[in-house]
Amino acid sequence: MMKDPERKITIEDLLRLKRAERPPREFWERFESEIRAKQLAAIMERRPWWDGVSRVFAVALRNRVPFGAAAAIALTWAGVHFAGGPSQPGRAARPVASAPAPVARAVASAAQIAAPAAQAREETAVAASGLASSPEPVVAQIASHLAEAPPVAKSEAAKGTQFSDGVASALVDFRGADPELARGDVFGSDREFEASFASVRQPPSEPLARVDPSGERLERLLVPALPSDSSSGAALLGGYRIKQKASYDRMYESLDRYGAGGMSLEFRF
Amino acid sequence: MNATKAIGKTLVASPERKLEADADMAVVRQVQAGDVAAFDRLIIKYRERVLGIVYNMTSNREDAADLAQDAFIKAFQSIHRFQGQSSFFTWLYRIAVNSTLSHLRKNRLRSFFSLESIREDDPVSRELVDALTEKTGAGRDAFVRELQEKLNDAMQKLSINHRTVVTLFEIDGLSHQEIAEVMDCSVGTVRSRLHYAKQLLQAELQPYLQ
Repeated sequence: MMKDPERKITIEDLLRLKRAERPPREFWERFESEIRAKQLAAIMERRPWWDGVSRVFAVALRNRVPFGAAAAIALTWAGVHFAGGPSQPGRAARPVASAPAPVARAVASAAQIAAPAAQAREETAVAASGLASSPEPVVAQIASHLAEAPPVAKSEAAKGTQFSDGVASALVDFRGADPELARGDVFGSDREFEASFASVRQPPSEPLARVDPSGERLERLLVPALPSDSSSGAALLGGYRIKQKASYDRMYESLDRYGAGGMSLEFRF
Repeated sequence: MNATKAIGKTLVASPERKLEADADMAVVRQVQAGDVAAFDRLIIKYRERVLGIVYNMTSNREDAADLAQDAFIKAFQSIHRFQGQSSFFTWLYRIAVNSTLSHLRKNRLRSFFSLESIREDDPVSRELVDALTEKTGAGRDAFVRELQEKLNDAMQKLSINHRTVVTLFEIDGLSHQEIAEVMDCSVGTVRSRLHYAKQLLQAELQPYLQ
């Protein structure tokens, strides 16, 4: 490489010198003993919990095809066995049949309450299916859904019935236990409240019908302000006009004093 | 992206490198299976090269030893995550380079250099030193020491990334593609960094380039 004395030395040649910089043999002995100690410490070191997680992920990533296939099979199996639910015919009826007796009674009474509603829905469904001649399948489907809704309505109705029954029976028990406290003048009877409420409530009326005629209203407003001897209506009205004119005169006088006229206003000091 | 990388690797990797990578992978599998002692073979095989990179990046012998050891320990600790998508040597280099870069960024203001001696059993370096000594007419040992210091100063004036590229390409002999993999950047970036770094080094070492 350097045989030719005329050959120019390049930057690459100088950098080659860096390759020749090497530590002595003793250095490597020390290096080896140190790295062995560090390696041992790393083996003995308690690993953090996420290291185990990352190991699991690494294994899963390495064997992702068999893991993925197993997961797909497991999901399919779970879907077939557990997600069938409401589409199976016997499944919906089972909870009602196996429920305790009071609940079953409540559901039965709720079903009786909800029966007219269900009947109305059925009528709606029939009407809808009768009306829907052109987009028949869609409308018929909606109507059938409406007709199938009663289980929800039944349960809601059952809740309401049970609650109101409970309140009524508690009230009866209370009255039986302490008749003194349950007197009508302490709590009032069931009907008293409605009667008192009805007496307070005003029947709806036309708003303009309650407005007084203008003359009567004016007289009513002026009576307390005027002298007590003016008794007749005409005298009252005349006195009012005189007073009004006097107040207008006072206003114009004050406007002249401040120089206000027409569209301008000026102050004189 | 992975496919592109794999194609690039296939085109660039030489048959020797491929054989080497396969041999390394077999040892890695042994370590992954629980044979801890097998990792010693990898340490002995790569310790000089890893130390050379770290030393030329830091210009400090003690720091270089610590960082090289840490790189091997990190590789040992996380070898179960190594899946062979790149060669073991590229992976190990990446660990070493990243550790060194973070060390240099943390200790940016601290600059304490300790130089190794040039071993003149390498014929190429001996001839080079002979030629330079003849041209300058200086004493051999003093000249070599001075040249080492100047080289070190010039390397330290480069940015960390430029220094890393020069070290990996000119001193360790990695290809552009391998450097791009180790530094996680494009081959174009490696080329431009190398070109810029050489220009700076040329300007710094002009008196020796005659």
